[in-house]
Amino acid sequence: MKRRALDVFVAAVAALCASVAVGILVGLVAVIAQRGAPAISWTFLTEQIRLVGAAGGIFWNVIGTLLLLATALGVCLPLAVALALVERVWLRKTRARRLVRTALYTLNGVPTIVFGIFGFIVFVQWCGWGKSWLAGGFVLALGMLPTVAVALIERLHAIPARYVEAAAALGLRESQIVWSVLLPQARGGLITGSLLALARAAGETAPIMFTATIFAGATLPHGVKDSPVLSLPYHIFILAQDSFDPAVGAKLWGAALVLLGLVFSLSLAALPSRLRAHEEAHV
Amino acid sequence: MTKALSWFFSLLALSVVILLIVIFAWQSGPVWRAEGAGYLTGTKWFFRQHEFGALPMIYGSLAVAVVALVLAVPVGFGAAIFTAEYLPRRPRLAVKMLIELLAGVPSVVYGLLGILLLRDWIYALFARFDPLSGDSLLTAGALLAVMILPTLVTLSDDALRAVPAAQRRAARSLGLTRAETVLTVALPQAARGFGAALLLAFGRALGETIAVFLVVGRRDNFLPANWLSPRALLETGQTITSKLGSSETNIAWGDPRHWAAITGLALILLAITVGVTMLGTALAKKEAR
Repeated sequence: MKRRALDVFVAAVAALCASVAVGILVGLVAVIAQRGAPAISWTFLTEQIRLVGAAGGIFWNVIGTLLLLATALGVCLPLAVALALVERVWLRKTRARRLVRTALYTLNGVPTIVFGIFGFIVFVQWCGWGKSWLAGGFVLALGMLPTVAVALIERLHAIPARYVEAAAALGLRESQIVWSVLLPQARGGLITGSLLALARAAGETAPIMFTATIFAGATLPHGVKDSPVLSLPYHIFILAQDSFDPAVGAKLWGAALVLLGLVFSLSLAALPSRLRAHEEAHV
Repeated sequence: MTKALSWFFSLLALSVVILLIVIFAWQSGPVWRAEGAGYLTGTKWFFRQHEFGALPMIYGSLAVAVVALVLAVPVGFGAAIFTAEYLPRRPRLAVKMLIELLAGVPSVVYGLLGILLLRDWIYALFARFDPLSGDSLLTAGALLAVMILPTLVTLSDDALRAVPAAQRRAARSLGLTRAETVLTVALPQAARGFGAALLLAFGRALGETIAVFLVVGRRDNFLPANWLSPRALLETGQTITSKLGSSETNIAWGDPRHWAAITGLALILLAITVGVTMLGTALAKKEAR
């Protein structure tokens, strides 16, 4: 009898915990959706910011965020692919390989504000760029690198050895194997990793607040030096600190909803490929 | 060509990481020379007087992260037990995907929710202890608890799933109930993985900047008379990250000692989070083997 009671009790507690976790997270999205939805309109997305956020829209903020993301991806991809290939193909010793992976996991644990200050020192001050979209791209890329590289490495290791052996038996050189077997087979990992990393980078404020983004008065950058952009996270960050004006409040939730929508669409785009990988791993 | 390029970019990435560590060690040099170990144990931070003590911020960072763990760990572990041990495969995948999706909610959005909702709730809930405002270490910790929940659930669920199903079947066929199987067979074997989840979540909580910045109050030089007193958690405080994220970072450039003190904080943060992350990763690795 006591054993039965314990059985029921453990199941109930675990179920309760799971409902609390899911409930909090779903409730949070519901709150943002409910408060943000009234602010969303076509003009909100296509107008520029006016009256310190109390009127107008967030057009240049969205553009700025997309520009930062594109730059970061452009910087991150060559590094991530190179690291993954070196780990999979050209490092022979297990210990060296493990070192690469450990370094990537560790980099993943570095707080993004540290990257931000690093970028502030190197790009903003030493290079004399001031706040610049390119600095923001570099700094965000640092945060994205582990996610993309690890996803690619995992997929590279999942490629059956006989594919590589067959290619080698056909007389393909190492670089030909890379381009015609390894990379095409691991493309899914690269895409999934990139989407997840972009989703995370899209919402980052800490790395770009000192390096790339300002609150108002920027459109498209004209060069590298002194060419900041607007961005969604920084917009929300600044407005959240003095959000007593109700007109600002409504716009603020609207901007949060747009940012959340952007982040979710990026992670949802990665979902099918991740589910497939999951199914394959548990046949 | 492919090989050369790969090595070139890999070494480039490596040198950036090394540069990162070198820069913070080097830039923070002046403050270590001026204050020595007193930089870590000093309790006063007045940059105009060139007094730099990091202890209140170290306390703040640890306090909010520990509050977050205390609140999130029971729920996170319980939820992981439910998804891994009780849910059939498809609902389990659905719940996991949902939780991972919500892990992507940006920290500034959490901060916004903290400012506009959680702050008032905490103030109302603890009104009889007479807090100065809804901004407090506790508010920051509670917000962080929600933010690290997905990390905890995902990693501990993975740890439980790594325990072979055959062992559960064996335990059940010996007549153990489901709860007994979980508690005596699955959990002990997943303990390392749970430890890894805890450490990695701790690292995330320590390094989180924006959400904490918005609700922690950012009061310099707050140290409670009694370190373990829970009442202190209702006070406003300052964490390492909220200091680094403040406008003081912009002001500090140009004053070598002040700048050194700021980069010194970043170095302390880097050392703690890297240590915690490496320990967590090492634990998770042993599990997999």
